[in-house]
Amino acid sequence: MNHQLEQAGIDPVDRLTVLAAALPGAAVRQRRIAAPYDAVWPVIADLEHFAPRYEPGVARMHVTERHGERLHLLVGYTNGREEPMEARLRAGWCLMQSATVVVAFAARPLGGQTLLAHLEHLRTGAPAPEPTRSRHRRAAHAKIDQELDTIERLATHDRD
Amino acid sequence: MTAAQHGDALALDQLLDELAPYVRRLCARIAPAVADDATQEALLAVFRGLPSLQAPEALVTWVRAVTVRTAMRLARRADREVAAADPAAESHASSLEGLVDIGDALARLPLPQRVVLVLRAREGLSEQEIAATLGISAGTVKSRLYRARAAFREVWDS
Repeated sequence: MNHQLEQAGIDPVDRLTVLAAALPGAAVRQRRIAAPYDAVWPVIADLEHFAPRYEPGVARMHVTERHGERLHLLVGYTNGREEPMEARLRAGWCLMQSATVVVAFAARPLGGQTLLAHLEHLRTGAPAPEPTRSRHRRAAHAKIDQELDTIERLATHDRD
Repeated sequence: MTAAQHGDALALDQLLDELAPYVRRLCARIAPAVADDATQEALLAVFRGLPSLQAPEALVTWVRAVTVRTAMRLARRADREVAAADPAAESHASSLEGLVDIGDALARLPLPQRVVLVLRAREGLSEQEIAATLGISAGTVKSRLYRARAAFREVWDS
């Protein structure tokens, strides 16, 4: 195990699973990305450049303050709305939170490839009753899968 | 803590920083053969249960109880799997080959004795705290400690 990635005695992908356990309704998907960790993680870590490319609702993202791992962000959505976010970013771990959403990524090397996990969680409102909740979960998983597709493409051959 | 209980992900992340080393240490001492799995399962149980924790000031006590019970469950399961795979395998207590340190000697004690000795000697808990953690009487803790110390001495002196 890469010690640089293992913070507080827990692997980042395992950490994401634990975080999701405390966020009822959070959608999580993970995937083996066909690219080495050193190609995948920069796509996640360069939030300003890449987040608008894989996140369909985001038009722009600016880092307004940075103190070590802690970041303040300003997110501009495609519908014109803006929202501040706080984030924690380090090797293999990216957690962003606004008043309305939580977004997280965790990654670790897997042979010559990368295991990448992605979480999205809406903070607003009580969980919807079934069957609406299942429909929302399926939609959230489909959205995350699409984002992971894009991240894989960005990490492998579409960087510019 | 209150923010974490109300779904503040950054507060949860911070709490994970604080709790994970403690949970890992307990699991490594109680269930050394399956410490990674025990740590993950214990943390999942803790974070799943956080929103319903009624007394946030009792967090450490609660985390300890959840972790110890999870580690014991996984250690028992691992022991059963080893016994099923090799019924002729020697018990931990009688297998002394390769004994190198105190942790190794502790790992060779039967689980109930190992747990009370770890909690008393390595974690510094009182007999009352151990009783509360394990959900057993203080008298049972005392007798298990007595047997555990004797078994440890036997293993250590061999």
